[in-house]
Amino acid sequence: MERGVSRYETNVVLYRLKKDPAFRERFRSDPRKALADTELSDEERDAFVRWDARKLNELGGSLHLLISIPGLSGH
Amino acid sequence: MGRIVYAAAMSHVLYPDYYGDNVGPHGRQMVEALIAVVREMGATLAAAAPDALVVIADDHLNVFSFDAIPAFCVRVGRSVNRMVQDDAIEFDRALDGLPERYAVHEDLANSILEKGMQSGFDFAASWSAPLDHAFLSPVSTLYGNRPIPPLVPVWVNCFVSPQPTAQRCYAVGRHLARVVAEGPWTVAVIATGGLSHFPELSLARIGQSDPVFDRRIVKWMEAADHDALAALTAKELHETGSHELLNWLVLLGAVSPARARVRFFGEMGRIDLAALEWSVA
Repeated sequence: MERGVSRYETNVVLYRLKKDPAFRERFRSDPRKALADTELSDEERDAFVRWDARKLNELGGSLHLLISIPGLSGH
Repeated sequence: MGRIVYAAAMSHVLYPDYYGDNVGPHGRQMVEALIAVVREMGATLAAAAPDALVVIADDHLNVFSFDAIPAFCVRVGRSVNRMVQDDAIEFDRALDGLPERYAVHEDLANSILEKGMQSGFDFAASWSAPLDHAFLSPVSTLYGNRPIPPLVPVWVNCFVSPQPTAQRCYAVGRHLARVVAEGPWTVAVIATGGLSHFPELSLARIGQSDPVFDRRIVKWMEAADHDALAALTAKELHETGSHELLNWLVLLGAVSPARARVRFFGEMGRIDLAALEWSVA
């Protein structure tokens, strides 16, 4: 993970997955639909849909969010 | 005139189950040994009977969100709650049995904030942010069943880049020392957070630490080589996984020129654990 300014869009989705149980449930049942209104790039969106935690981390997703989303933690 | 009557820094996941689950029996044993030392330190702290306890720690995106991430935030107000979350992860599940509310030392917190604004330290202020394991694991281990003095929680942004520099954290600590010296209170200061872990905040590198780096910085603390510590770069802190050392740098600024005494140092593999005290009294 590079050290630049945090990638807001990826992290705000991770944050919602951690903190918002209803959003997390929608994401679990249909990830692509749950993410429809987000401003993710195609690469970011694909990593979410596949739930590729390492890829999300490489794209700037916060380690602490990735290890703390209930039921989806990534390590 | 006020003074700092106790100062220490320590790792802040003081839970045997966490290291038992993630590292195995040797991790569990090492953190149990650390907890025993922190309890001894707590007896010294309680005997110093500070009017206020300043706790410098970081947020793990539990409390602050991407609405805004403060570089430094002082918790003001009358009291502060323990964080409660429905789906707490293992770090924070152990908070469940602890008291729900803690007094804030309003006058000291307000002084740090107001005098900061007057002298070039533009702290954020929070009246409602709760405390997670980074604050309450050390505080509850130090105090056990003894009454906890009014707290002044201070958050440092250790994890959401760009973070404040080591030099700036040290300067915030110098500010803290001035505020204490100008006030009427006896104050204890603790900084929390692990030595190296989670290098580069990379999921792929969980499990790695940097004992060579950790031994070096602990030696610097013993020798009170604060210039070397304050000169650590964001790159060094990131690559070694020493992000939480920023909390310790605030403490170093507050206690300078005191030398550290190592009470515990353990190389676990996943993380290096430590507890240090400074001779300030």
